[in-house]
Amino acid sequence: MKRKLAHLLDGLLPRQRLAHRVADARPRLYRIACSWCRDRHQAEDLVQDTLTRAVASLDELRDPDRLDVWLTQILVNRYRDLQRRVTPETGWDGETVCQADRPDQALLRQDLVQRTRAAIARLKEDQRQVLTLVDLGEFSYADAARALDVPVGTVMSRLARARKRLREILEADELAPASGSRVVPMRKLR
Amino acid sequence: MTTDDDLHLNAYVDGELSADQQAEMLDAMRRDPQLARRACELANLKKQVRLAYADLPAGRTSRRDCARSPLQSLAAGVLLLVLGGLAGWGLSPAAAPGTAASPERLVVLDPEGRGQTPATAASGEMRIVFHLNNPDQTAATDLLDEVERLLIAYEAEGRPLRVEIVSHGEGLSLLRERLSVNKTKVKELAHRFPNLTFVACLNTMERLRVEQGIEVKLVPEAEVTRSGVSHVVKRQREGWSYIRV
Repeated sequence: MKRKLAHLLDGLLPRQRLAHRVADARPRLYRIACSWCRDRHQAEDLVQDTLTRAVASLDELRDPDRLDVWLTQILVNRYRDLQRRVTPETGWDGETVCQADRPDQALLRQDLVQRTRAAIARLKEDQRQVLTLVDLGEFSYADAARALDVPVGTVMSRLARARKRLREILEADELAPASGSRVVPMRKLR
Repeated sequence: MTTDDDLHLNAYVDGELSADQQAEMLDAMRRDPQLARRACELANLKKQVRLAYADLPAGRTSRRDCARSPLQSLAAGVLLLVLGGLAGWGLSPAAAPGTAASPERLVVLDPEGRGQTPATAASGEMRIVFHLNNPDQTAATDLLDEVERLLIAYEAEGRPLRVEIVSHGEGLSLLRERLSVNKTKVKELAHRFPNLTFVACLNTMERLRVEQGIEVKLVPEAEVTRSGVSHVVKRQREGWSYIRV
């Protein structure tokens, strides 16, 4: 009862409502952050940092329809700051990621997921950002361009190159020995 | 090296082409199976990328974890409130530092968002009618708390607001002198906020008299209307926001 009422009343105070929409954006930002960060803790911190800043500076958001792009701009900037402090390293090899009814399906999927994540992690930074904003963030080219502050044409060419490169990496990976070895991330061998 | 073909194929897969361009692309693919195969590969790759991040470890959601976050600014506190773990009651201005903002920013509304789009009169006045027909008096108590917060928040921001609470059917007890557990609150609110009106349904009172021989005595703050339901409908027609409790 209380919750329902509070939910309805959200609509009556636009700022509150906007703050709720910020919170709703969390899963999407987290997904993107996960594809950029080296582990989930870093991704969580990045998202938390982004959301905190967003709520604190909601006043700066001129157009509420642009909320997602605005949040992603903050995410991009926060990520940039983060990289200055830590060595970028991506890949989530240690995490258990898949749940399925059948173990064999789970294994197959897990393998695909890990190979794909590792391949994405090997893309160049600018290519990875465009690819993940479009595919994971489901941004239009125009919005991805705004979020990254680059021309749409740049988004298009980076995206085309990112996908081309991603396919090359994945295909090369196909040829690698099928057993455990390819799952071991390079940096662990260093 | 990327060609124009590549750019177009990617745009096609990402749903960025206009209907005309899509038709052109489909026609080109029909004539060129190689092109069709590349589009298919790109679409599969996109699916694969999405699948790779379909399942993620749960983010930090628990209160305890949040509290341990190094980001302990006031704003973070607000965010936690908003994230719903703690209260879900974000209405009081005291709970949201930084809400004292210019009115023009606050009236920007997104009709696609959640909740109800508030009715705003030509003067910019927000008008809300609550329809209370719930026999549970704690619902009425919650409602009064919430309405009070709303009134205070609007008052603090200097924005015009009108609220009516129409009590009808089993919800009438809010305004019955002998039954209401919220009498004092009703009196206090009605006196403090001239823009708040309590309305009782005459039909409900008559029905109680005829069917159960009860002579309903209302609290002095209550106004009456012939039919609570018609009144609520009328308000909705006039563009008021309607919230049923």
